[in-house]
Amino acid sequence: MRVPISWLRQYVDLPEDADTIADRLAMLGFPVEDIVRRPLVTGVVVGKIVALEKHPNADRLQVGKIDVGSGTPLTIATAATNVALNQTIPVATIGAQLPAIKIERRKMRGVESEGMMVSADELALPPDWFEDGIMQLDEGTPLGTNVVELFGLADDVLDVEVTSNRVDAMSILGLARELAASYGVPLRAPSFDNPGTGEDPAGTAPSVTLETADCTRFVAQQFDSVRVGPAPAWMRIRLALAGQRPINNLVDVSNYVMLETAQPLHFYDASRVSGRHFIVRDARPDETLHTLDGEDRKLTPQSFVIADGDKVLALAGLMGGAQSEVRPETTAIVLESANFNGARVRRMAMSLAMRTEASSRHEKTLAPALTDMGAARAAQLLVQLGAHAYRPHPFGSNVFDADVITLTVRDVRRLLGLQLDADRMSAHLRALGCNVVTAADVLTVTPPLWRRDLTMAADLVEEIARMEGYDEIEAIEPSVPSHEISSGQYLLENRMADTLAALGYHEIANYALQGVDMQRPLEQSGITPSHKIVEIRNPLSEDQRYLRWALGPAMLRYLGRIGAPMRVFEIGHVFSLDERPIVEEAVLAFGFSAPRLDEPAWRDSHFLRLKGDAEALIRAVCGVEVTAARDVRTGYHPGKTAVLLHDGREVATLGQIDPRVARAFDIDMPVYLSNIYLDNVPLYRIPRYRPPSKFPSTYRDLAVVVDLDVAAERIREIVQRAIGELCTGVRVFDEYRGPQVGEGRKSLAVRATIQRSDATITDAEADQVMKRVLEALQRDVGASIRE
Amino acid sequence: MSDLANSLSDLERRFAGAAAHAADTRELDAARVAFLGRSGEVTLLRRSIGQLPASERPDAGKVINAAVERMESVFERESARIANLAFEAELSREIDVTFPSIEPAAGTIHPIRRVLRDACAYFERRGFAVVLGPEVEPDYYNFDALNIPPTHPAREGFDSFFITDTLLLRPHTSPMQIRTMQQHAPPIAVVAPGRCYRRDAVDARHLFQFNQVEGLLVAEGIHFGHLKGMLTGLCRELFGSDQRVRFRPSFFPFTEPSAEVDTTCPKCKASGEPCNMCGGSGWIELGGSGMVHPNVLREVGYDPDVYTGWAFGFGIERLGLTRYDIDDIRRFVDSDPDFLKQLA
Ligand SMILES: [Zn+2]
Repeated sequence: MRVPISWLRQYVDLPEDADTIADRLAMLGFPVEDIVRRPLVTGVVVGKIVALEKHPNADRLQVGKIDVGSGTPLTIATAATNVALNQTIPVATIGAQLPAIKIERRKMRGVESEGMMVSADELALPPDWFEDGIMQLDEGTPLGTNVVELFGLADDVLDVEVTSNRVDAMSILGLARELAASYGVPLRAPSFDNPGTGEDPAGTAPSVTLETADCTRFVAQQFDSVRVGPAPAWMRIRLALAGQRPINNLVDVSNYVMLETAQPLHFYDASRVSGRHFIVRDARPDETLHTLDGEDRKLTPQSFVIADGDKVLALAGLMGGAQSEVRPETTAIVLESANFNGARVRRMAMSLAMRTEASSRHEKTLAPALTDMGAARAAQLLVQLGAHAYRPHPFGSNVFDADVITLTVRDVRRLLGLQLDADRMSAHLRALGCNVVTAADVLTVTPPLWRRDLTMAADLVEEIARMEGYDEIEAIEPSVPSHEISSGQYLLENRMADTLAALGYHEIANYALQGVDMQRPLEQSGITPSHKIVEIRNPLSEDQRYLRWALGPAMLRYLGRIGAPMRVFEIGHVFSLDERPIVEEAVLAFGFSAPRLDEPAWRDSHFLRLKGDAEALIRAVCGVEVTAARDVRTGYHPGKTAVLLHDGREVATLGQIDPRVARAFDIDMPVYLSNIYLDNVPLYRIPRYRPPSKFPSTYRDLAVVVDLDVAAERIREIVQRAIGELCTGVRVFDEYRGPQVGEGRKSLAVRATIQRSDATITDAEADQVMKRVLEALQRDVGASIRE
Repeated sequence: MSDLANSLSDLERRFAGAAAHAADTRELDAARVAFLGRSGEVTLLRRSIGQLPASERPDAGKVINAAVERMESVFERESARIANLAFEAELSREIDVTFPSIEPAAGTIHPIRRVLRDACAYFERRGFAVVLGPEVEPDYYNFDALNIPPTHPAREGFDSFFITDTLLLRPHTSPMQIRTMQQHAPPIAVVAPGRCYRRDAVDARHLFQFNQVEGLLVAEGIHFGHLKGMLTGLCRELFGSDQRVRFRPSFFPFTEPSAEVDTTCPKCKASGEPCNMCGGSGWIELGGSGMVHPNVLREVGYDPDVYTGWAFGFGIERLGLTRYDIDDIRRFVDSDPDFLKQLA
């Protein structure tokens, strides 16, 4: 909200400096987003054109005599075409400083010019919002008055942010009140006495029927003898500084009162309201309204309107209709100062995709008492403009009083840690307009009429804290009480991240919202994801329409983008649809792209590296060993996919990405990926120490020839079982395929380590053991032994 | 006898001299042969014993043997000296220590996780637990339970991604306040980091997906001064001990009183010039905070007359941008290898 400091000064004495005021507002809870600096302007005074003639030497110039109240009128030439005799205008005298120029005595085509007639642009006001040419001031303004001081043109303008609970402070007066309370100086609030007292002419009194509870109060007031024209210069300038374009005196009055008090108003041409009878009701099906911005609006079911018996007049709290709009020929008007249900106004505005200054206030639900205050201020201004005011007619609720709140000294102490006495607390609250009755340590507080946000003791504690200043509250480190809440999941994620980083993986963070481009490469490869994908209803763009169902696709996209071998991991949530509305799971994915190796087709060191990393990771975070088993997963290489099991339960899946999928993601090297669902990770189990035998061990190497489908893990199991408790290790350490072992067979090199805990094992014993091993291998998997 | 002794001592002196001057093994060996060899000077001297009276011969033999032993030890000492000379010559062949290092194959932790962890660690050391929760949340946890009823204008501020009428991607981590308090009786001391989502157009300062860390302390006797103390400590931990922290009144439906938290911009502070990080204001906005609203405490069945508490929610990306002086927030999701390695 644009807040001219000059306007604030009307109600409260403030420091000179804009930054000081801005800081104070920020510390009251109204951050200043921007300070619009006003340029230096001096030497501009009010003047009156007392003579005007054509320039003797130039057709396009005129020469005026301007009375600036100093005796001899100044002779000033101008090229402006809107000047006329007896106009009151701003005049820059010799030595004046304007934003772009310094005024000096000079000759214009032979005529000595003693100054300059000034346009809005030269006063740093938006030129489009004012007269084309020389600015017009009001007749009767004392001549010679300093224009900059008169209109507050030197003061900067603050762009103030007001939180949604403080719609009362979406107004100059509201902010002035805050500053006055904070600085401890009086507030010069305007009077809210309505000058309209007389009864309306017979049969013209406006009436209102409230058919919807979403209008709580409607003050209607009739004015006649209205003459539509430009508003006085002071009002136009003030509105312009506040960022509001001046339109005509009536529109400007309604905007002025809204900016001053926060209460939006609407004026109807009285002759266009059938029977001067206003009905506030829901919009009917298929109703339309030609609004005063020139648009034809099809009203939505959320809409509610001000209507007369025949037609819709206005969208309640949002915008008026063109038909009942004030026109140049209008002479009688009816003012509407109404209070609406904010939620309803917001729903309507959203359904119509409209937002106005009025609706941005109404949608936060104003205090009903403001209706009378707004009407009174408007009536005062209209009377100043020469209109005649009849008495206001309020409809709806007359109950404005907020609930009484009980506040204790203890409330402040326990929420703020501040020890304040009741007198100090009550002084702060009174400064903000509260009515306070104090009895010992208990305050009975009635919030002011315009504050709807103060409903309980905690609200008042915040008011007191704001007035004391948040800086005054001492910062103390609390002693944190002990509790039973566990950090388990967080620690697991961190242990995983640390382990993977140590294993050489880089952590990445992709978007969880994805476009169809994450699925397309899979579809191209003939893969339909097994998960039902969650769709976002209101994405900002197509590339964020879907919630990721797996971390893999974005990771592949990343590896494709990087183009060089890279090891990466990500921990994040994945989402899919199920019988429940949604399934959300925390997943770790890690993997790498790597150069192709010169290896036989039946061996893949990259795969073994990935498996080794997965095993090391699980060992690190769970303290347990896992075993691998073959597996098949969509998107993975059918021959290079495995699952890691612990106690028969799946902990991780891993494998090479199907080369077709990798290619679809623009990766032209082998890619390997492992997924771990964090819920599947076994709880950390503290490993138990087994002291080594005091006696030396021995080992035996075997070359076992078996069928191709006999897994190394199977051989390991058989050997371990056959050796029994003497076995301290079995490792399959090499594989060979080729002509020497024959078609359909492979040779596996196995080392078994054998040890006794009670004595040195003899060669004879070891040989005896190995005999059992060979028998078992022959029996169980038809192995033959290569010498 | 004294002749023999004189001769021996002269011989020993000359051997020691020759050995000490030997520059290498060859010269040392030559000296040894000359004095102790089969036809060396000692052998000659030993032969001369035969001319002594028989009664003196045994003593003379002993004297010579002792001298030989001393000479042998001189030889050992000088051998070691020469061996060390050679080794030192070998060691003195230096390498270029400025040659580029061999990079370890270490991975990296994402800078967001590092910032998040450092923030959490501060609270963990003070007895807070770190809890995680879902990103898709019903509106009850996101709004209703946080004192934001359906008609509340503050809902508009959370421009959220919806999945159904009532299910959305959480626009803040505050649902974790409700989840934690519903699961546990007071006292509560938790921080809850995690991802949040809002319908923000992506640019150098905004992402539609970001991380927050939520903090919640509820117990008897907790007040706003404790909030200031804790968050001031956090900022000093993250940015340095002279860091200033400012609390400004604000409005959040789930806290009362509420405060925005700003901390002095470390970049401006370091350079003394207004910077682009803070827009020249000298303050970095960290997020919202305040005393837990009585309605929120009531919603989870806590008695607001017995328990008070504070909560806060800070954006992690903002902390990360500030801490590492990053020009564009999108770099966090781009995760370029160079970016990750620079900040590792
Ligand atoms: Zn800065």
